[in-house]
Amino acid sequence: MARSEQQSNERYGGRWFWRYASPSAFFAPAGRIETLCWVLAAVLAAIGLYLGFFVAPTDAQQGEAYRVIFIHVPAAWMAMVIYLAMAFWSLLGLWLGTRLSFMMSHALAPTGALMAVLSLWTGALWGRPTWGTYWVWDARLTSTLILFFLYVGYMALAAAFDDRRKGDRAAALIALVGAINVPIIYFSVKWWNTLHQGSSVRPGSSSMATIMLAAMLIMTFAFWAYSIAAAMHRLRTIIIEREGNAAWLRASVLGGKR
Amino acid sequence: MSLRRATAAVFRRELQLFARRKSDWANPLMFALIVCALFPFAVGSESERLRLIGIGVIFVAALLAAMLSLPRLFDEDARDGTLELLLMSPEPLAALLLARVAAISLVLGVALALLAPLFALFYALPMTVAGVLALTVAMAVPTLLLIGSIAAALLVSARGGAILTAVLVLPLTIPTLIFGAGAALRVLQGESAASELALEGAILLLALALCPPAAAAALRISTD
Repeated sequence: MARSEQQSNERYGGRWFWRYASPSAFFAPAGRIETLCWVLAAVLAAIGLYLGFFVAPTDAQQGEAYRVIFIHVPAAWMAMVIYLAMAFWSLLGLWLGTRLSFMMSHALAPTGALMAVLSLWTGALWGRPTWGTYWVWDARLTSTLILFFLYVGYMALAAAFDDRRKGDRAAALIALVGAINVPIIYFSVKWWNTLHQGSSVRPGSSSMATIMLAAMLIMTFAFWAYSIAAAMHRLRTIIIEREGNAAWLRASVLGGKR
Repeated sequence: MSLRRATAAVFRRELQLFARRKSDWANPLMFALIVCALFPFAVGSESERLRLIGIGVIFVAALLAAMLSLPRLFDEDARDGTLELLLMSPEPLAALLLARVAAISLVLGVALALLAPLFALFYALPMTVAGVLALTVAMAVPTLLLIGSIAAALLVSARGGAILTAVLVLPLTIPTLIFGAGAALRVLQGESAASELALEGAILLLALALCPPAAAAALRISTD
């Protein structure tokens, strides 16, 4: 075992992690990460939702309606983080030409779009009792909507090519163009209109009760775990879809039977 | 062939195509005119109401008209082989693409900018507003064409052409829309539009610097 590991280290330039740039090497670890993250997501969400819905005190101004932030804020954060991750893997793919990086981007996109929709949806549900309307054109809602458009554009472009290699690289390029544009869009939209209440989570001087903050952070980790698990699951599906004919895959899916 | 001669040749060819095939510039202008004429039917013809929406309608109509001309950037050239020659040129592809976008911007940008004050009459906008609108449309059209050239280059060999171009490009033009229409709105409210105009220009310069290399990379990917 040790010998074969050493051999592969030599083959992949001495860095052990480069081994995992290959879909065949990463397929099994991805499965283990997926299982671990599903468990983590379930446990953390159970704790976070319990704290958020039953333990955290009622807000003085917003009543019970504020409790949607335990879903809304983590979803909004994930929508942004996942776009950055997608752009990162796209850059890596274009730079190094690694197939797995492109697959990773593809695996992340639907989860990111889901997070954007989720944060818009819960934002609307929150806005109705607090602002009296489902939708206002404020900077953060509008930027999230535009982020959703960028996810949709990425997925539509990736699906528009018959040639997978082209589709991978084209979508990666548009992900990077989007990533450069996101801050420009954000600041111009902010310039255009700011109605939103100030960000209530700041490092150091938080205006939230400790228990609320704890619940929200636990929910954030739950969303991270969910996103990683979903991405890993999708990644494995993409690998099976693309490399379905490879001998190693048949062997591992059929449980070693040839 | 030197870089200067190559870009000049590409630029001249584009202008010649416009001169010989008048529908290439006439149709986008007609499109913008018709879009501007449609809105009063939908919202009513009181000049108070029209003045409120006029700037936005004219600006979006100009952007849409410019966007409709994006497929002409590469589609035909891919069919008749011109694109292959561009790709094989020893000169940097980004510079050649910039020359093409510059030629199209010159024709469409100037034409739409000249028409904008005319559309402003439809919407009962004062002449000072019309002037600023012309200026910002003249900056926004090249910005859109530069950003759009990336999408058009990617989609040369893909399915779903025009609609997908719109889905990819329009969200990215929101900043230029905000500052372009914002400048005219400021003037309409009797304020100074200097900061909006400066930001609109900054976005154009940023697009000028970043988009041609990205479009060149996109073209290499899609014609690979």
